[in-house]
Amino acid sequence: MTSQIQLRNIEKHYGAYHALRDISLDIPEGAFVALVGPSGCGKSTLLRTIAGLEGISSGEMIIGDQDVTKLAPRERDLAMVFQSYALYPHMTVRRNLSYAMRLKRRPKAEIAEAVDQIAKITGLSELLDRYPRELSGGQRQRVAMGRAIIRQPRAFLFDEPLSNLDAALRVHMRSEIRQLHNRIGATSVYVTHDQIEAMTMADTVVVMRAGLIEQVGAPLDLYDRPANKFVAGFIGSPAMNFVDGRISGDGGSVELDLAGAPSLALARPATPGQRVSVGLRPEHLEVGAQGNSLTLPVALVERTGASSYVLTDTPSKILVCTAGRVGDDVGQIIVSIAPENIHLFDAETGIALR
Amino acid sequence: MLVFKNTFRDGVGFDAILVTLALGYLVLFSAFPLVYNLVMSFQEVDLFSLASFDRPFVGLDNYEDVLTRTEASSIFFNTVKFVGISVVAQLVVGFALAMFFQLDFPLNTWLRGLFLAGWIMPALVVGAVWSWIFAGDFGVLNYMLQALGITDAKIFWLSNPDVALYSVIIANIWLGVPFNMILLSVGLAGIPEDVYEAAQLDGASRIQRFFTITLPMMRAQLGAVISLGVIFTLQQFDLFAALTQGGPANSSNVFQYWSWQLSFQYYEIGVGSVISVLMILFVVFVAAIYVRSTRHEQVM
Ligand SMILES: Nc1ncnc2c1ncn2[C@@H]1O[C@H](COP(=O)(O)OP(=O)(O)OP(=O)(O)O)[C@@H](O)[C@H]1O
Ligand SMILES: [Mg+2]
Repeated sequence: MTSQIQLRNIEKHYGAYHALRDISLDIPEGAFVALVGPSGCGKSTLLRTIAGLEGISSGEMIIGDQDVTKLAPRERDLAMVFQSYALYPHMTVRRNLSYAMRLKRRPKAEIAEAVDQIAKITGLSELLDRYPRELSGGQRQRVAMGRAIIRQPRAFLFDEPLSNLDAALRVHMRSEIRQLHNRIGATSVYVTHDQIEAMTMADTVVVMRAGLIEQVGAPLDLYDRPANKFVAGFIGSPAMNFVDGRISGDGGSVELDLAGAPSLALARPATPGQRVSVGLRPEHLEVGAQGNSLTLPVALVERTGASSYVLTDTPSKILVCTAGRVGDDVGQIIVSIAPENIHLFDAETGIALR
Repeated sequence: MLVFKNTFRDGVGFDAILVTLALGYLVLFSAFPLVYNLVMSFQEVDLFSLASFDRPFVGLDNYEDVLTRTEASSIFFNTVKFVGISVVAQLVVGFALAMFFQLDFPLNTWLRGLFLAGWIMPALVVGAVWSWIFAGDFGVLNYMLQALGITDAKIFWLSNPDVALYSVIIANIWLGVPFNMILLSVGLAGIPEDVYEAAQLDGASRIQRFFTITLPMMRAQLGAVISLGVIFTLQQFDLFAALTQGGPANSSNVFQYWSWQLSFQYYEIGVGSVISVLMILFVVFVAAIYVRSTRHEQVM
């Protein structure tokens, strides 16, 4: 597969503020790439630099086999779906969809045919003569999508396109966008701060923090093998628990800084005596004593019916997520974890130990 | 009085009082003069009959009289020129300035403030200032044109019959530009940035963005600025009083100034009223077009 979008050492400054730091990324043709990260980490900025709406301070950008670093947005042949949708308020849905084609002075018949086809795909056929203000949020979202698709661009850029929709519609649109991608197959870059969205939709997830790329990988790779503590904490819901600890003298287990200094056996030996941060996913902690187990005092139990969430009364709170039901009166809980599910991070640098 | 008492006790009828006050004001200060003016246009009015309502009814005589005067047609075309050129130029310059001040540059707000000076100054003062600028022998404008080598001879801006009207038009444009600029700035600021960005990605060049996004989204403001411009320009009286008094030989005279001259200089009040009535009809027509055009406005 060839690379459709290549970013080489992109730097972006807003005055003294360093918004993007040495971003290098290869996006293969036809890939669906999600950019995730906490608010303010530079996801939108990166997307807008790809679109050409923001200039970059240094680095180069290649789309297809063309260097687009210095090209204006309209010369890049990309389509973008904005968080605010940015529909043309003075145009009907039909004219919103056909805007780009009309600018190019395509024949009327061709435009009409394309609009009809896109309207069918996006379910807008009944709404073509309405103005954006006469549409619901979900319908506007479809118009924004349709306006992007009709252009058959080299790539799609999405900036949190679903964040203004209610939860149910968001889940629905999520699968719709993904199906659309499967059908059209065009390269897509999708910005979201919702890691569930990123995990469920993307082939490749790019985790960013403070203008830096922390890790790039397939969704389950990031879940199974986070490169550092930040990615480990960001990917997965509910978030991973972290407990400080020290590798035992023989390197085969880790002693946790908890009352009674419980120790967990490791799947692979580690450097003896090293200070570490131990990552335990809530869903990997199973209630019951099977091998690697911990006895923890309980602070709070929450039940959703399908599962129970137990919050422990330890210095750094540990969340246990279990499918079973946990009684009210438990003073303490015994949980166990398989050695291969224990994540170790260097206590100083946060880098994963493998 | 009961209404007042109730109003003070529990607010009942307060809205009725407000409506009555507003209506009373309109009747007293708008409707009455309008109707009175209309009535006078059908009467023979002179200095002696001014104080009484009981004046001879002359039908359309006043209308016939004023419209057949030799100067009527030239004053009519002067008025058309004055309004047409002023409104178009104010619009173009105001729009250009509004777009210019959309840009981000140092001293932006400070400069914009300067442009408002014309707006807060009384037109009579502006007229006086311009009469110095235009003065033939010692005027700033002639001095500048000569210094730059654009003209050799002095132009007599206010006393040359071929030029006088255009001098007033220039002053009036200067006077009206800030209003246009402000109103259009508000409209421009109301267009979201992301709509322009979407258009850029859709392949629109700067010029295409102007014609497909900016202009259509400014329709309401443009309509307001044009119709208000026409109305304000038709009300422009002070500049004529300060600069040319309609002269020389009516070469810069317009309806609104002529109407005043007829009524209050020559005391042909009935004839003067005819002109006001005609102008009122025209203004109502313009206002109606404006209201119609905004009623179907696509508001976001
Ligand atoms: N025009 C600008 N001038 C100065 N700083 C800016 C500008 N635009 C963005 N920034 C800064 O750059 C950083 C990254 O912004 P960006 O919008 O890319 O964040 P984001 O990751 O999209 O966040 P969110 O999830 O909240 O949308 C932020 O700290 C922001 O304050
Ligand atoms: Mg953002």
